[in-house]
Amino acid sequence: MRDLVRSYGKTLTTIFVALVCFWVLIMIVLPQAFMIEQSLWTMQRDSALGVKIDRAYADLATMNYDLGNARDESAKTALQAKIDALQAGISDMEQRETKPHKIYGLQNYTAMSGLHFRIFVKSIVYALAVTVLALLVCYPLAFTIAKLATPQRAALLLLGLVIPYAINELLRVYAWLMILDYQGVINSALEALGLVSFQDKTWVPFLEYSGSVFVALIYAYVLFMVFPIYNTVETLDKNQLEAAEDLGGSIWRTHWRVVIPHAKPGIAVGCIMTFMLSVGSYSVPQIMTRGKSGDWFSQLIYRQFFETQSWNLGAAYAFSLVLVCLVFILLMMKLFGVGIRDIAK
Amino acid sequence: MHGKNVELDKVVMRFGGFTAVQQTSLEIRAGEFFSILGPSGCGKTTILRMVSGFIEPSEGRVRIGGDDMGGRGPARRPTALIFQNLALFPLMSNWENVAFGLEARGLDKRTRRERAYELLALVGLEGKEAQRPGALSGGQRQRVAIARALAVEPAVLLLDEPLSALDLKLRQYMRAELKAIQRKTGVTFIFITHDQGEALTMSDRIAVMRAGVVEQVGTTDEIYDRPATPFVATFVGENNVLSGTVAEADAAYARIETPLGPVRARNQDALAAGQRAMVFVRPERASLVNGHDLDNRLTGRFERRDLEGSYVNLFFTVGDQPFIVHEPNLDRQAALEGEVRLGFQADDAVAMRAGALDDA
Repeated sequence: MRDLVRSYGKTLTTIFVALVCFWVLIMIVLPQAFMIEQSLWTMQRDSALGVKIDRAYADLATMNYDLGNARDESAKTALQAKIDALQAGISDMEQRETKPHKIYGLQNYTAMSGLHFRIFVKSIVYALAVTVLALLVCYPLAFTIAKLATPQRAALLLLGLVIPYAINELLRVYAWLMILDYQGVINSALEALGLVSFQDKTWVPFLEYSGSVFVALIYAYVLFMVFPIYNTVETLDKNQLEAAEDLGGSIWRTHWRVVIPHAKPGIAVGCIMTFMLSVGSYSVPQIMTRGKSGDWFSQLIYRQFFETQSWNLGAAYAFSLVLVCLVFILLMMKLFGVGIRDIAK
Repeated sequence: MHGKNVELDKVVMRFGGFTAVQQTSLEIRAGEFFSILGPSGCGKTTILRMVSGFIEPSEGRVRIGGDDMGGRGPARRPTALIFQNLALFPLMSNWENVAFGLEARGLDKRTRRERAYELLALVGLEGKEAQRPGALSGGQRQRVAIARALAVEPAVLLLDEPLSALDLKLRQYMRAELKAIQRKTGVTFIFITHDQGEALTMSDRIAVMRAGVVEQVGTTDEIYDRPATPFVATFVGENNVLSGTVAEADAAYARIETPLGPVRARNQDALAAGQRAMVFVRPERASLVNGHDLDNRLTGRFERRDLEGSYVNLFFTVGDQPFIVHEPNLDRQAALEGEVRLGFQADDAVAMRAGALDDA
C-alpha cells in the first residue's frame, strides 16, 4: 500500500483502491451473497390461505347484508362485533399472504427430485465429455499454430479462430442448427448422394442426439481451450522438440514427455474454462435440442427462476452448480499439479 | 562407442533465393575433434544441421561411416546434437534427461536408470541424478547435455557453440573437459564455434568458413601459421596487414611496394610482379628493432601499451594505419615515446593475393 502511494500518489492510489473494492463488492461478493441467501430459505405458505381469505370475504358480505336487515339492536351489536373480528382475521391472513414467514435451512438443497438429480449428474458428465473432446480437438490445433506453422500462417490461423467470435453466440449456434437439421446441410448432402430421402423422412436426426449439443458447445467454446494451450506451448523452446527428435523420441513420446508437461497450466485453464462454460450453457442445449431431447441442468435452473417462480430453489440449484465448478477447478489443479499462480499466468 | 567419418560431398544448401552454403566438400575423419569456425551467419550451423538431419542439402550428399544419409531424419542418424542453449528438459530429473534417448529405444526403466547413472558419473555428476537441470550450475548443465547426447551412443557428436553461454573461467575448464571426453569415448566431434581460441585449443583440425564458403581446412598449426586467405589470416588470431603491389617475386619470396616502403615476405600464392597483394605479420613475430638485424623495418608512432599478463600489446601508428607488436612482459623494458623503429623477418611475414578481411 505504501509502495502504491509512493509510486502513484495519494489521488491515484485512492482511485485504484476504490475501484478494486467496488469490483470485489459489486461484482463478486454481492451477487454471490444474494444467491446464497436466497438459496437458504423457503416461504412458509399455507396453500389454502387464498381460499380461506376468499371464504372470509364471502362471509363478511353475508354478515354485512344481515347487518343491514337486522332490526334488533342487540343482535346488531353482536353482528358488528363478529364483523370486526372477521375483518381483523382477514387483514391478518392478508398480512401472512403478502409477507409470509421465511424459514432458513438447507431444505432447498435436499429438495431436488430424483429426476432433477439425474439431470444434474447427466449435465456434469456431458460437460466433462465436451471438455475432453474439446481438448482432443484443440491440443493438436494449438500445437500446430504455436510450433509448426510459419508466423504468417499462424497469424492467419489465429485470425480464422477469432473471426467467428465477432458473430453473436446465438447466431453461431443457429448456424450449427442449420447444418445438423433434418433438412439441413449435412442431410441435404446425404440426400444428394442418395443415402437418405427427405420424402421418406429417412434423414439422420442429428439434433435428437446429445452429440449435436456437444458439437455446438465445442464450437462455441473452442477459443477458451485453444488460447491457453497455445500460449503455453508457444513458450516451449523449439530446441527441446528438436532435441527430443534427435534423441530418437517418437512424436507421441515427445508430446507425452516434453510438450504436455510444459503445457499443463494451459491445458488446466482450458479445461476449467470449457467445463464451466459448457456446464452452465443455456442457449446451446436450448437451441440445439429444441426440446427433442432431455433438459440440461442449466435449463432446469432457468425454469426454476422464470417458470416455477421458485427463486429459492433456483438459487440452490445454481449454487450447487457453482460448487461443482469449484470442485472441478480444485480437481484439475491437483491432477495437473499446477498452483493458482500458474493458472493466473 | 566408436567414431565414424563424416563426408560432405559437393553439398549446397539454399533457402529460397539465399545460398547459405556454397558447394562444399569436407571429409571429417573418424574419431577426430573437428571444428567449424566462422563468424555468425557464415553457414556453419547450416552444415551442422545437414549432418544431424534436421535439413536435407539442396544438392550433394552427406555420408556418415560411408552410408548415405539422404532421406534419414535426425532420429535415424548415428549423430547426437548438443544445442547452443543445451535444450535440456527442465521438467525431468537429470537422469531422466540422460535416459530420454534410451526410453525412446524402448529400454526398461531399470536399465535406463543404470545407464544414465553411469553416464552422469562419467561426466562427474554423481549425486545430482535426481535433481532437475534448473538446480545445476551452467557447467553442470553442460555436462548433463553431454551425457544425454552420449547416452544414445552416437558415432558423431555435433556441438553447436555449447560453451558460448559460459563465463570465461568455466569455458576454459570445459574446453579441457570436452577434449578429455572426446579422447575417452573416441566419438567424432564436430564443434561449431565463432571463437577462434576455442577452436585452436580443442581441435585436431579446423575448417574456417566465410559467407557460405569453406576458406581453409587444416590442422590448428596450419590454420594459425599458414592461413590460406586474408580472411583466415585476420579471423584466426591477430594480424597486422600491409597492402601494396608486388614489385618483384620469385618462388619463395616477394617484394611488395607498400605506402610504408618495400616489404619482403614469403610468396605463398605464387604472386607475380604487378599484382595487388597483402602482407600479414603476427604481432608476436614483429618486434622493436633494438639492434636486431631485421629484414623489414618500419617507423611507427607509439600510441599506448596494454598489459595482457605474460606479454604486452604495443600499439603503433605506421603511416596512417595501426600496427601491433607483442613483446614478452620483461621487467627491463624502457618506456617508449614518439617515433619507434619496428621490424620483422621476411620468413615471419606472408604475402598473399588481396582479398576480403575479417571486418569485425
